Amino acid sequence: MDIILWRRQLLAIVQLEWKKTLFSKRGIWVYALAFLPALLFGINAYRVRGVHAEQQQIIERAPNAVAASNRINSGMTANDAAAILLDAKVSFYRFSRGRKLEIIRYSDGANSFDLMFREGALVDKRKRNQALLSDDIRAYAGIFQYFYLRLAIFFGCVGIFMNLFRGEMLDQSLHYYLLAPVRREVLMVGKYFAGLVATILIFCTSAALQLYLMLSAHPAKEISDYLAGEGWGHIASYLGVTALACVGYGSIFLAAGIIMKNPMVAAASILFWEGINWFLPSMLKKFSIIFYLQSLCPVVAPLNSDIPEALKLLVTTAAPIPAPMAILGLFGVSIAVIAFASIYVRKLEINYGAD
Amino acid sequence: MSDTPTILFEDVSRFYGEVLGVNRVNLTIPPGITSLVGPNGSGKTTLMNLMTGLVRPSRGRISVRGIAPDDPSALFRIMGYCTQFDSFPRGYTGFQFVNASLLLQGMPAAEAEARAWKAIERVNLVDAAKRKVAAYSKGMRQRIRLAQSIAHEPQVLVLDEPLNGLDPLVRSETIALFREHADRGAHVIVSSHVLHEVDMISDQVILLANGYVVAEGEIRGVRAEISDRPHQIVIRCDQPSRMASRLFEHDHIVEVRIHQDRRGLLVKTTDASHFHKLLNKLALEGINIETIAPADDDVNSLYEYLIGEEGGN
Repeated sequence: MDIILWRRQLLAIVQLEWKKTLFSKRGIWVYALAFLPALLFGINAYRVRGVHAEQQQIIERAPNAVAASNRINSGMTANDAAAILLDAKVSFYRFSRGRKLEIIRYSDGANSFDLMFREGALVDKRKRNQALLSDDIRAYAGIFQYFYLRLAIFFGCVGIFMNLFRGEMLDQSLHYYLLAPVRREVLMVGKYFAGLVATILIFCTSAALQLYLMLSAHPAKEISDYLAGEGWGHIASYLGVTALACVGYGSIFLAAGIIMKNPMVAAASILFWEGINWFLPSMLKKFSIIFYLQSLCPVVAPLNSDIPEALKLLVTTAAPIPAPMAILGLFGVSIAVIAFASIYVRKLEINYGAD
Repeated sequence: MSDTPTILFEDVSRFYGEVLGVNRVNLTIPPGITSLVGPNGSGKTTLMNLMTGLVRPSRGRISVRGIAPDDPSALFRIMGYCTQFDSFPRGYTGFQFVNASLLLQGMPAAEAEARAWKAIERVNLVDAAKRKVAAYSKGMRQRIRLAQSIAHEPQVLVLDEPLNGLDPLVRSETIALFREHADRGAHVIVSSHVLHEVDMISDQVILLANGYVVAEGEIRGVRAEISDRPHQIVIRCDQPSRMASRLFEHDHIVEVRIHQDRRGLLVKTTDASHFHKLLNKLALEGINIETIAPADDDVNSLYEYLIGEEGGN
């Protein structure tokens, strides 16, 4: 075994491949998919900043607004509530829904409220649009687990890793590598590392940007409190899970690109397998990437109560396993898949249809 | 057993589904320039791809100087393959294309760079080496592929239609390069449609048709084995009419045509060795013979006789 030679060859392959993979025209949609959540968090950051600015204005204009708001209690009439707010210089909207329901909407600078008056008496005091960091953290967990992991990174890895061999076959340029004195397994691992460099760079950058946009919209005090607590741990976990998702899905789609001719069939089959992970017996669960990734996510993703039961089954997280086990399991699955693919890569032939 | 390194094909067949690539190929190729000749679809590229491990035989065994083609890490240390595939890794310059292939060999960067420049110089492409391959002409692309295949100084050079797209000057330089490799004891395997060039450069030929090896060996040797076709010989002499009448006295002379300038004749004979003895006799009888040259021991004739079509040129 010539480890030094293999290391040099691996390095050469990664150097040749990573830029090509990262800046491929074919991969533009991967960037779109990766950075879509960042765009959403950017829009949300703009909204949150607006809410905070509005709250600041209220605090400056009506310093007694919170105290006034606290004095509004059940059973109070709409006129009395309006009088308290006017007295504290809190602006509000007063409107009716039908003949019996009257609503007063206002913000006290800390929270926004909808006061619901039925037949003149206050029956409900609803908080809304609070722009709280804790809400955004939960939203991030949801988007990360239901969209980013299951769709963005999944399909991003389809686009990048499947093209490492299949794309070069279509471009009729794979022979360039196969005519070099490189063991096929070394070539495969080199391409895998190059794919990892590209995907980790794209998806970790996007995940970090999403976190930055999410946090940056909130007041500095809230951010520093969060970071001083569990914040840095969350950030490290999200970036780590993103990288591990690239490791896991990358290995699967690299193998699929070598073994299968049609990437969409492979992607659909694996998406189905990952989707039914929840139903699988515990033994089979271990042969899925999402099982390990979900165990490593730092925040339990919220599940909207309006989601239909059938859909809930698909998005419910599996029972988590300890982090070291999850990391080992994921690497184990990836190594097994790569080892399986190496059987095929040794037999890989070039037949572009010449002769 | 001889110590000469050879390329061996033992009962090799390759099928693409139900389509025949090559069938029952048995070859022993010695060092030197060997040309693969045959019409499109005859199996030339399949044979080269089998030799280089790009495709696997459905049956049989191949050995390239003792190395099996399914061991690329050993094979491509001694082999360079200039393919016909006109595609390159995206975005590469000529230099990068050659240099990267040397880096893949595991060579240190400085050595790879030096060798890459040397190979590029050999194919006269130094001025264009820093330009993207995508902007190269067909001939330049052919030359950069050639540079890549010779950069590590292989002992086996496999070249699929290497002279395509080259201008006459570069062609002759390229042929000289093949000869140089062959003279150093390397195997140079060339496929070509241009038969007069094959004639010029080859030490031996392999004629292929429909996936079968029709003939192999030195051109003259192959010609000698074709007994059902009379040998054609051109003679330049001072008394062609007298010579013609003397020749017709022998049964093995099939046809004699006197040249229009009446300074020579074309003879067709079924027994070449007998004919040459006869010529000695005629010379002693006072006919002044200037030159004797075979007219059909070239690849073009072999192609016509064995494959049945008129050869390309």
